[in-house]
Amino acid sequence: MIEVNDLVKWYGPVLAVDHLQFQIPAGRIIGFLGPNGAGKSTTLRILTGYLSPTSGGATIAGFDVLRQSQNARAHIGYLPENNPLYPEMRVDEYLHYRGKLHGMNRNERRQRIDVVTDRCSLEQLRRRLIGQLSKGNRQRVGLAQALLHNPPVLVLDEPTSGLDPNQITQVRSLVAELRGKHTVILSTHILREVEMSADEVIVIARGKIVAQGTIDELRQTARTGSKIIIELQADARSVSSVFAEVDGVQDVDASARDGWCTAAVTPATGADPREALGKVITTNGWTVREMRHDKASLEELYTQITAEQDVANTNAA
Amino acid sequence: MTQILNIARRELSSQFFSPIAYAVLGIFALGTSLIFVIGYLGPGQPATLRGTFEWVVWLMIFLVPAISMRLISEEFRSGTFELLMTAPITDADVIVGKWLGALGFFSTLLLPLIAMAVVLEFNASPDWGPIVSGLIGLVLVAGLYLAIGTFASTLTENQIIAFFVSVFVIVPITLVPIFVPRWTQLPPAVSKTILYLQINAQYEPFGKGLLALPNVIYFATGIALFLFLAIKTLESRRWR
Repeated sequence: MIEVNDLVKWYGPVLAVDHLQFQIPAGRIIGFLGPNGAGKSTTLRILTGYLSPTSGGATIAGFDVLRQSQNARAHIGYLPENNPLYPEMRVDEYLHYRGKLHGMNRNERRQRIDVVTDRCSLEQLRRRLIGQLSKGNRQRVGLAQALLHNPPVLVLDEPTSGLDPNQITQVRSLVAELRGKHTVILSTHILREVEMSADEVIVIARGKIVAQGTIDELRQTARTGSKIIIELQADARSVSSVFAEVDGVQDVDASARDGWCTAAVTPATGADPREALGKVITTNGWTVREMRHDKASLEELYTQITAEQDVANTNAA
Repeated sequence: MTQILNIARRELSSQFFSPIAYAVLGIFALGTSLIFVIGYLGPGQPATLRGTFEWVVWLMIFLVPAISMRLISEEFRSGTFELLMTAPITDADVIVGKWLGALGFFSTLLLPLIAMAVVLEFNASPDWGPIVSGLIGLVLVAGLYLAIGTFASTLTENQIIAFFVSVFVIVPITLVPIFVPRWTQLPPAVSKTILYLQINAQYEPFGKGLLALPNVIYFATGIALFLFLAIKTLESRRWR
């Protein structure tokens, strides 16, 4: 449904999007994740036809965003960052205006406005001035506007930024309802956002994809970065040599303090040597006071990935 | 075409929510009334609005850019521009629609002038021909000023800058030609061109009751030129 091909965007001397390439099949919800300034908005702006790429291209529902821009735009519902609206218009009036821009006739507009105001819980606010609405309600108007022409592709740029926790939950459940009916690309710099609603995640930093996959796949990657921490009463050197022999152990880092030895064991990829470790501890008759699995959370993985990227860039420069 | 009208209608109704629009309306009504009452209304004066209209053209130099300065700049500032440009419409739809909406707002400014014509009708028997052609001429002048203003508005998100850019474009083609006859060392071709381009001179026949094709062509070309420049400026923004 969405295809991005070797996309590059320079803002003068600044490289905002660096040879980006990905495909999104129809009906999926994709989390587009990255720190601020990673090039998320720029990519989305190219997809929606607001900006032109320096090189490379993209297609929406088979239409080239550059050469068949009008067609591509007709297939997208877009909620830009900061959700810009006309404060002097009434909700109904604004939705009619947007519907007309999408070439909908009066009947289609009436019918779809009923549908989207119902879906976004705006029925009570249809006669209100947008400028008088709360931020959360304005966000709903923005979403209603994006859904109005029933587009196959929805592009939501930071849809929950600046909302209170209650409103965030509402927006999330609304996005979850879109699953299967629309292809959604949802950008955010908050990991929890995509953990809740996205089928797949694309992490970008400095304009490049640094990780991609389902949440579970990313969790798997995160797990390989985890450690088993064991505190026991024994000599640090013998602990490292014994543990290093255990199956599924990649690396051991043991240090002694106050008569206790703390061993940090890095398991080999995909392995879980906890049971084997327990066995060698009993055979050696060591006293254990703690054994825990330090799971790297997705959050840590995300920080790690994007931070690595920063370091790599600093070194390159 | 439907998209142009859609954008024009939204622009026209949103003009009425802007305090600047009411200031323009007020100043225009007051200014034109003063010109009419002090300068031309009285026993023994000819029952015509020609003189009043010619002064109105001068007044418009500062008032019309105040209408157009917000057209695109305001959309840049508020970010709504992004939603407008990602709708399946062309850049030309946006520019022409905005310009047409502003022209629609300008036509409400003409109401006090029509009221003056009615005052004349009650007290004397004015010749309606020059009044109608004069009003058409004023709309054409406003169309040109608004096209210049629309172009200026595509250059910046700051309305004040947009205002001054349009004034700085308009002033050379209205005020400068007044001094041309004194610069005798100018080559005749140059001074002729400058005099031809003067907006007030091009308006004069309309005030006399003449709807002459060359004058209409002058305004139509000017409007087309500046709207074209505005469309190109919008297009170029995508490539930044």
